[in-house]
Amino acid sequence: MSAATPPQKHYPLTDAVDFVIVGSGASGGVLARELSQNGFSVVVLEQGPWLTTADFKHDEYMNWSHSALTNDFRKQPTTFRKTPRDKAVKQPALTYGRMVGGGPVHFTANFWRFHEIDFIEASRKGTIAGTGFADWPITYADMEPYYTKAEWDLGVSGQAGASPFDPPRSKPYPLPPMPVKSSGVLFEQGARKLGYHPFPAPMAVISQSYQGRMACAHCGFCMGFGCEMGAKSSPLPTMIPQAIATGRCEIRPHSYVRKIELDNNGRVTGAIYFDKSGKENLQHARAVILAANGSETPRLLLLSKSNRYPDGLANSSGLVGKYLMFNTDSLAGGLYEHPLNEYKSIEVTRIIHDFYEMDPKLGFYGGGGIDARFLWQPISFAFNGLPPRVPQWGSAYKQALQKYFTRSMVLAGHTTSLPVADNSISLDDTVKDAWGLPAMRVTYKDHPDDLKTTQFMVDRSMEILEASGAQEKWAYPVEESTYGFHLLGTCRMGNDPKTSVINPDHRTHDVPNLFLCDGSSFVTSGRGQPTETIQALAFRASDRITALAKGNQI
Amino acid sequence: MDIDETRRMFLGQAGAVFGLLCLSALTPDLLAQAHTYAQSAGGTKTYRFFTPQQATAFDAFAAQIIPTDSTPGAREANVVHFTDYLLSTIDKDQQKPVEDAFKALQAQVAKTVPGATSFTALTSAQQIEVMKAMEKTPDFNILRGFVITGFFGSPALGGGNKNQVGWRLIGFEDKFYYQPPFGYYDAQYDKGKS
Repeated sequence: MSAATPPQKHYPLTDAVDFVIVGSGASGGVLARELSQNGFSVVVLEQGPWLTTADFKHDEYMNWSHSALTNDFRKQPTTFRKTPRDKAVKQPALTYGRMVGGGPVHFTANFWRFHEIDFIEASRKGTIAGTGFADWPITYADMEPYYTKAEWDLGVSGQAGASPFDPPRSKPYPLPPMPVKSSGVLFEQGARKLGYHPFPAPMAVISQSYQGRMACAHCGFCMGFGCEMGAKSSPLPTMIPQAIATGRCEIRPHSYVRKIELDNNGRVTGAIYFDKSGKENLQHARAVILAANGSETPRLLLLSKSNRYPDGLANSSGLVGKYLMFNTDSLAGGLYEHPLNEYKSIEVTRIIHDFYEMDPKLGFYGGGGIDARFLWQPISFAFNGLPPRVPQWGSAYKQALQKYFTRSMVLAGHTTSLPVADNSISLDDTVKDAWGLPAMRVTYKDHPDDLKTTQFMVDRSMEILEASGAQEKWAYPVEESTYGFHLLGTCRMGNDPKTSVINPDHRTHDVPNLFLCDGSSFVTSGRGQPTETIQALAFRASDRITALAKGNQI
Repeated sequence: MDIDETRRMFLGQAGAVFGLLCLSALTPDLLAQAHTYAQSAGGTKTYRFFTPQQATAFDAFAAQIIPTDSTPGAREANVVHFTDYLLSTIDKDQQKPVEDAFKALQAQVAKTVPGATSFTALTSAQQIEVMKAMEKTPDFNILRGFVITGFFGSPALGGGNKNQVGWRLIGFEDKFYYQPPFGYYDAQYDKGKS
């Protein structure tokens, strides 16, 4: 696979660096660049390999079934149960990016800001029984400069002002929208007929050359794949080389952290990790930032038990791992008269936000967006891309594969998940990973309102497909989630140490030199596209942590 | 991060197959072997994992999943060699489930056509009857999964999708560069604007 790691600064284990960052992905990559550029010494511990664009292949089977870019269930098993009353069963329950650059290396590249309402929704709409629905302690106005920074520093293509629902912004997108695909055209026409407001999807893919990177070549392998052009604006071709270039940042791949060390004064002193050979090391640091994603960050805290924190580090609230939110997705497909050839170029070119907030008269909480796309590569299409009525083998199957592949698309809805305390990441009692650590146990059952919202999106999608002239349309059934990709809410931010894990500076309420910044920081789920908010939080956290460090307040 | 749908589909309805296949491993060595194997595949009738009986049964099964008609089917895509390659290298952990699936197939043959000796020896109509009787089972789906993967997978992996017959069937091309317009509707849209 990948060649040796690029030349970079090396720190001895015994030298306490300013910051150890656990994770090099959406947030860790940003924190590494920002803090190293701000003059601090940084060691990034990343569980996965350091791959380069040359390692990325158009091999659907290896990427999906052999976890080329993601956590491998065989080595890191998970268990799943719907409620704490059920027995957890060993089965794949979630996916995250496991490599330098993290999840955004393989993500679809949808890049949506949160809207103003996302931060203040509980106070506007009221609390919801049986949930931890709450306002964030920060607002959209606090975040706006950092959304802008994320878009400009990473490279995002889009059209400011194209959606009447967009929140205010201080700058346009740095790059024009990607060329519209046939799915976008049909969706736009159908949605307009129904009075909706389709607009060019903001995508973290560069439509023109940008900051030394080449523009997207429309090869069609975004979702689930690494970009061999480096045109997808993940941390891998952006934040990581810039962090290295400071001469103050060392990225250590194949470094699997098992514990954060705590001293007698209640301060963390570093991270214990297994290196590639399985040997244990302790990297000393003056402060530690966990950016390991919404599942591994709480798991690592729960693994870091001590006399002072018998229920897990920084867990005096008991909320570490709780309020897990996956977002839900709806799906409906359509067949058209002429070829769309959706296997070319990026997945998504048009979206609507007309249902970002839904009519309270519907009687349930929720909201989201809908996009038009092609979800499939050839193998996944053959498994799942045909309407349910079509036989799954034989002559009719073969004919349908031939007919539908170039002429169909799907509408995907992306929606809210309510924070429910039982939905959680915890440590499994019996199952262990390949390093002998307790496996991750996932407990998850969608709130009824989340499923109603998903069904609402399916119904609207079917209407749009009809209005767009589909010859045939079909809906995929709405089912309870048993698998997650968006890993949100498990160490929520708040002002009250009793009801949250971190404060608005991303500092844990319990430990002054321990910070958490990733999907776990979320208070609410947003509308199904969390990555830009994770990265904007990381830019903001970098500023806050820099100010605290320079003021000797860490 | 926005990959719920596909992944859910892979692991959910599609089944057991991809869920199970997830459990396998890859090393760079194996990739190199895969390449070598891909170069040589099809030229030999020897198998690394399949018994001769299993290979002929799987060949007949595959030919019913994606039949050969006016266009090539699973047989021409070389899915038997592809599956044999996967099962003897990166998907070794699937050997047991696949062996169990062959046993289940044989048991269904005996049940549906009493006295029949093998799946291969049945008429096409009888084979279809046997497959319909077990099409909802994990045994059926693991075999079907390997057929589909061998028909549509990257030709660089294990010599399946030979001569890209799977991709040609559906109109897929694996190129590193495309320019708009990509399809009929965006071509019309751009015309309307100019």
